[in-house]
Amino acid sequence: MQSNQTFADVFKAGGVSRRDFLKFCSLTSVYLGLSPSMVPNIVEALEKKPRTPVIWLHGQECTCCSESFIRSSHPTIEDIIFNLISLDYDDVLSATAGHQLEDVRRKTMKDYKGKYILAVEGNVSIKDDGVYCMVGGDSFLNTLKETAADAAAIIAWGACASFGCVQNAHPNPSGSVPISDVIKDKPIIKVPGCPPISEVMTGVVTHFHTFGTLPELDRFGRPKAFYNTRIHDKCYRRAFFEAGMFVRSFDDDATRKGWCLYKMGCKGPTTYNSCSKIQWNGGTSFPIGSGHPCIGCSEPNFWDKGPFYTRLAEVPFLGSDSNADKIGVIAVGAAAAGAAAHAAITAVKKAKAGTEDNDNA
Amino acid sequence: MGRLIEEIYVWRLPVRLYHWINALCTVALFGTGLYIAFPLFNPPLGEAVFYRGMSWWRYIHFASAFIFTANFLFRMYWAVFGGDKYGRFGGFRPWSPSWWGKPFREQVESYLFLRSKEPNYVGHNPVAALAHFLFIFCGSSFMIFSGLAMYGENNPGGFNSVWFGWMIPLLGGSYTLHWAHHLMAWIFPIYLIMHLYAVFRHDVVDRTSVTSSIITGYKHKVEEEPV
Repeated sequence: MQSNQTFADVFKAGGVSRRDFLKFCSLTSVYLGLSPSMVPNIVEALEKKPRTPVIWLHGQECTCCSESFIRSSHPTIEDIIFNLISLDYDDVLSATAGHQLEDVRRKTMKDYKGKYILAVEGNVSIKDDGVYCMVGGDSFLNTLKETAADAAAIIAWGACASFGCVQNAHPNPSGSVPISDVIKDKPIIKVPGCPPISEVMTGVVTHFHTFGTLPELDRFGRPKAFYNTRIHDKCYRRAFFEAGMFVRSFDDDATRKGWCLYKMGCKGPTTYNSCSKIQWNGGTSFPIGSGHPCIGCSEPNFWDKGPFYTRLAEVPFLGSDSNADKIGVIAVGAAAAGAAAHAAITAVKKAKAGTEDNDNA
Repeated sequence: MGRLIEEIYVWRLPVRLYHWINALCTVALFGTGLYIAFPLFNPPLGEAVFYRGMSWWRYIHFASAFIFTANFLFRMYWAVFGGDKYGRFGGFRPWSPSWWGKPFREQVESYLFLRSKEPNYVGHNPVAALAHFLFIFCGSSFMIFSGLAMYGENNPGGFNSVWFGWMIPLLGGSYTLHWAHHLMAWIFPIYLIMHLYAVFRHDVVDRTSVTSSIITGYKHKVEEEPV
């Protein structure tokens, strides 16, 4: 495969008609949340710009991001890895292995210095020099630093690379940190989720390829196009929330009727993602759609904000897990007890002073 | 009964109005806030369009929150520009040794029964001023800022989202912000208990009619009780 083919060349070689190519461009613009007037820009970029080389590293992760990615339906996985991006290195998907594969990575880093995208799936263990995550005979910490040095931009795939996910949940035995804690001098796009929606992943890559810039990011570094609104605000069960019609137990009638899962611990009201818009597996469904409360997987440290099935988080307080209301009630009780005790002492003192005064008189 | 020596006009109308509007709003906010976190009642079966089981509570919460905020801003204005001897910030100088030193220590000692003679203040004593600063000024500010940040969440890029949205990453995410807002709400009942106790106790011990002063505005100095 020639290394500087454009997308249009690849489409043509694959026997895709121009009509289908334009359809694809329109669809991509929809997923990116762009106005129809931007479609020509996408067409132009895909026709004229050489494909963006991508190096895809895997650190401490479960590969669920890759699993999600290969289920993308617009476009499909075959399109992506053979036609759309030039996925030069991915130790999970590559046919080659070992030194051969590592050589490919180094060659890409040299040939496209400062031009390739580094996609990172998984986070980095930094405790004990990163010995808890060894890939290809070196610590992932070293590999990441080496590969990030010449990258144009970094995409942090999933909750692991973006915020840390389960590996750095309390007590974080391997000292795992998100990519942004290790790489400070490169622009990083965070695409959180456990895993992120596949169309979101392909959309981010296409945006970078089309405009040559990062998409607009929110305060957490997530692309606004996909993470600007809460699941709650686009949820099809929102009417039941406003009406106060809640599921109270997973086997009650309300569950069958599909009422709001707020009382079952749904994190939709505090989670920014596109699940209730784009949905999963080609728009088949999403967690709330199949009757399970959202666990908030695209939010920072969501594992430590549990339990998943209650509304209020439990907070470690004086060695025991407690929620905000328990702490509040205890504090109010303590204040009342303190006031009562103070009143009692005042009364005793006053009575005593009174007796003394009477004695003096 | 000691004879009345003097009647002092302490709490002017703006201060009294602020106090009662603030009290009512705080009660409404705390009650509706707890309900929003734990919606108790179930509507009868039927279509969602006919019920307001959650939106009414939220509406009351937001409406009283905006009254609470406006009232708070008004009180800040009054404290700075009102020229009110007993209702201004001028008397509160925790950075100054003259404030932090003897008067504050004496008041604390008095509350801890370490002094027999109570220091007497017409307005707020230094301990009360500190409590108001922490609970009412800092507490209300946090609740207002975090509340507006959450209120702005359903309109990304809107006014509240732009001006108060920075609270979300500061607290580590939307969920943690909700949680902190919920936890901090409990400082108001705690404050209420301490406040009522202190008022009643001072009224009984000092006989300055401090309880009724927040309605009438007047405090009284009375003669030492004849022995």
